[in-house]
Amino acid sequence: MPATVDGTIVGRGNADGARLFREWFAGLTAAAEAGRGSAYVFVMGSLAELLRTFDFPIVFPEINSLQTAVRRVAHEYLNEAEDHGYSPDICGYVKADVATQMRGGQLPMGRIPKPSIAVYTNACNTYIKWAEIWERMYKVPVVTIDVPGTRAAGAQTWPGDPDFENDRAYVLAQLRELIPTLERVSGVRFDIDRLREAMGHANTMNTMWQRVLELNAARPSVFNALSDGTIYLGVANGFRGAPEGARYFTELVEELAYKSAHGIGTLTDERYRLLFIGVPCYPIFRRFTEMFTELGGTFVGSTYLRFASGGANLGLTYDLDHPLESLAEGLLIGVRDAMDNMFFQTDILIRMLDELGADGLVYHPIKSCRTVSTGLADNRRALLAARDVPSLFIESDMMDRRVVSEAQLKNRIDAFFEGLASRRAQAAIRTG
Amino acid sequence: MAYAAGVDVGSTQTKAVLVDEGRRIVARALTMTGANVIRAAEEAFQEALRGGDVREEEVEYVVGTGYGRYKVTFGNTQVTEISCHGRGAVHMFPATRTVVDMGGQDTKAIRVSPVGEIVDFCMNDKCAAGTGRFLGAASSALDIPLDQLGPTALRGQKPVKISTTCTVFAESEVLSWLGKGKKIEDILLGVHQSIAGRSTGLLRRVGLEEEITFTGGVARNVAMIETLQESLGLRVNVSEESHYMGALGAALFALDHILAARHPIRQDA
Amino acid sequence: MTSPVTFPDWRGQSLDGVITACRELLEDDTYPTVRRWREAGGTVAGHFQVYFPEEIAHAAGMLPFKVRGGPVEPTQADSRFGSYLCSIVKTSLELVLSRRVELELFVTHPICDAARNLAAVWGRNFPYPCQILYLPQNANSAHAADYLRGEYDRLRRTVEAVSGRAVTDEALRASLAVFNTNRSLLRALYALKRDAPWLVAADEAYALMAVGGLIPREEHNALLSAALPQLRERDVRRHDRVRVVFEGGFCEQPPLDLLRAIARSCYVVDDDLLIGLRWILEDIPLTGDPLHNLAHAYLEQSSYSPVQHDLRKPKEEMLLHRIQAAGAQAAIVTAAKMCEPGLEEQVTYTHALEAHGVPFFVSEFEENMTSFETLEIQLETFVENLLFD
Repeated sequence: MPATVDGTIVGRGNADGARLFREWFAGLTAAAEAGRGSAYVFVMGSLAELLRTFDFPIVFPEINSLQTAVRRVAHEYLNEAEDHGYSPDICGYVKADVATQMRGGQLPMGRIPKPSIAVYTNACNTYIKWAEIWERMYKVPVVTIDVPGTRAAGAQTWPGDPDFENDRAYVLAQLRELIPTLERVSGVRFDIDRLREAMGHANTMNTMWQRVLELNAARPSVFNALSDGTIYLGVANGFRGAPEGARYFTELVEELAYKSAHGIGTLTDERYRLLFIGVPCYPIFRRFTEMFTELGGTFVGSTYLRFASGGANLGLTYDLDHPLESLAEGLLIGVRDAMDNMFFQTDILIRMLDELGADGLVYHPIKSCRTVSTGLADNRRALLAARDVPSLFIESDMMDRRVVSEAQLKNRIDAFFEGLASRRAQAAIRTG
Repeated sequence: MAYAAGVDVGSTQTKAVLVDEGRRIVARALTMTGANVIRAAEEAFQEALRGGDVREEEVEYVVGTGYGRYKVTFGNTQVTEISCHGRGAVHMFPATRTVVDMGGQDTKAIRVSPVGEIVDFCMNDKCAAGTGRFLGAASSALDIPLDQLGPTALRGQKPVKISTTCTVFAESEVLSWLGKGKKIEDILLGVHQSIAGRSTGLLRRVGLEEEITFTGGVARNVAMIETLQESLGLRVNVSEESHYMGALGAALFALDHILAARHPIRQDA
Repeated sequence: MTSPVTFPDWRGQSLDGVITACRELLEDDTYPTVRRWREAGGTVAGHFQVYFPEEIAHAAGMLPFKVRGGPVEPTQADSRFGSYLCSIVKTSLELVLSRRVELELFVTHPICDAARNLAAVWGRNFPYPCQILYLPQNANSAHAADYLRGEYDRLRRTVEAVSGRAVTDEALRASLAVFNTNRSLLRALYALKRDAPWLVAADEAYALMAVGGLIPREEHNALLSAALPQLRERDVRRHDRVRVVFEGGFCEQPPLDLLRAIARSCYVVDDDLLIGLRWILEDIPLTGDPLHNLAHAYLEQSSYSPVQHDLRKPKEEMLLHRIQAAGAQAAIVTAAKMCEPGLEEQVTYTHALEAHGVPFFVSEFEENMTSFETLEIQLETFVENLLFD
């Protein structure tokens, strides 16, 4: 351990991430004020690499919506959408966005431009219904890039397999069909070299992202997958395929490697290493993480960092000699993996437990999202049958403050830590 | 002789239990929590001291539990009621592996290890439909005192099916059945079955393993015991102390601290 | 195996007896028809909502069984899922967890994310193949039909492996013929509902249609062929009831009693109830590549629902067209509780209906709800307003 810690490097990732986010929003606000259109995309299967080459400002409504919750104004947006007719039971992200549109794009962070096009996959079925809302509101083209997912647990197919090739041909055909629409809407001609460039940056981001996830195997761990992870995800998505994104993650790896080499962790006293399964509780975001860190628990990994990484989850490297074909293959494999992390995640979790040396799991199903939540209870059963590992199951929401009860969450979290402590004590007595 | 105390501050009632070094219950007390939670905790504690004829200085450790556990300002530490109910149940029935705690506000299903460690838990506190609150709503709708609900329900022959998921609407559903000419005992039996069904769901979620111990205030209700056993298809243990199980568990944890201080065990940090 | 008669109860009965037999079968949570099929040595392919190319399973000699919830308490299934979930997913799993129904294959579709998750949950609890059939959500891609043909081929291979029988083109064509007949009979039933709704009440038509998902299609064809002429001859007085379209029954089904309650004041002249059984609107050609024809029909000759995305078929326009084509005066726009696509579509539907001046009644339902008083009162008030306009 050196006498002084390099102050310029530790904490840089969080600071730069916040700065990049502000810059992104400043750009969006400028575009909105200038009456420019934009491309509305989603975190799973964003195709930002392709859209960037048409000079579209890129808007991620999911990220905008979660920010309203983090900034404690989500309830206003939700109420407006519900007054407009949307059910309390549907996705909170959709509702917050509907209200944002009704407010002319006004958000706490700035203003977003209207969509001139929406491009999305079926990674989440709600994306499709959401785009239909924009289609009616703005009469703009909405393009579904249908990505067939894994058919059954453990049944992923790979290049060469006739079923994979059937899927790949479909995705590639859709991408080819998309390009003329993008040209028409943007007025920019498709430039395959620009696509190569963007995909090159994405390659860097993918490779670096893998390193980031791996580096957290360090003891003590070098970032909190829940709190720090959300910052990284913001950049991973907002700057996918952009040079700033590539630079950010290269520097992030440098910082985390530094921390790892010097034993610099996230907590003064890292007692329990945990995995998080699901989407964070944004309405009480800071407090939620604190309820764990206060008791010495940190999140070393989460499925969220895998399915929401914007395509970086598998560290795929695009073949820049065949950009479109490679983009199709990457999209197919990447989006499929995102869906697997939500539906077929038992084996993935067991691997994460071992690779990251985790002591327990926290399942966080949320009211508004059936995509992520439906199978969690059953998955937990299956996992606990395969592996004797402590787990906590707490339900709340990622947007709706009304169903988040801090007292109830704390009660359960405290009980979970009591269990972790007594389990450790029992183990010590047995080996002692 | 040293004593240990557990104070369980619930939303409606606060309970205190004193145990001696031999783990015997020396006293128990119950007060209404009311608006001043800190005072309720103190009052319950003082009443328990009086009841056991124990001086405050003789109590070497106090553990607070329940939703108001952080308000037991004179306590030494807090432990969740989940852990406390598990601990208390195993103390009363050593073969306990699953606990179902039905309080006024929530229902908990807790799975415990042979040494009383919490293995898993599942709570229904999203809505009052499967909890004691539902009984309270039925009690006011039918104008029958709470303690008579059980015996009345047991007389039911043709239980009605309660379908509302919300306690607020339970009242109107109950009245609607009355309006259709159904007997009070049949309606009440239906209400109990509905609660038992939801609790069974919670228990299945957590993994049913015998023996099952039923704790909490509602465990004194004879119809609840019977409908629960019927719904589970299994016997449940019920202790005289069911209402005080949380406070008892807390007192036992307190006693652990006292004994550990005398005979420290090397523990991995 | 010679195909057993799984549903003899209706034969030789009067029309009312046939309808009663159908209703009782629908409410029988022991699923006797599936049991009889298995006892005769048959295999069962369970398929979830909304649409499944049943011909492929049928061609392998399997019984396609439409999994769509049921009149059961999800006592075991409940613990597999969290809260905030539609009932149909839970009761469907309950059917197999409680061994009321046994399957050799389970297929679900990407209609929504609860349904997709179902494949994972089912597969963790049963040893037979449990998979997602990825029907295309980009019906507007020129490549969609080719893709779907390839996906149907994959399904065919699965069915062959499970049933131990080859699914030849010839067998497929024979199955297409059986199902073409079935769809044509269902179209005739719906034409009757539209043209002479007093002859068949909403819940009666539903019973006659819905049993198709539980029995061999050949038996259903025989049943409908016998019932339709009798319906046409029925001696029923024509009432002055409001003509409505019921929308929202594409996946989780409303209870029969709810349909009965609606039928007391309305003639349901068209609906999307169990639309999956009636998804294909015309006969599928029997010449040429049968899998290609099936794929083509799914995309080009099909109805609409909130869970199929097709830019050519905006749902609200399709609904308005349905209302007009059926000569309906109003729409009952429902959604199952917790149904994400259904609840979202409700907003689009109601805005469009309002803009076009079509009266509508909005509601939610749950498949096993038992009390409808509030709903009935609201519906009656709605109907009264229409009649006195």
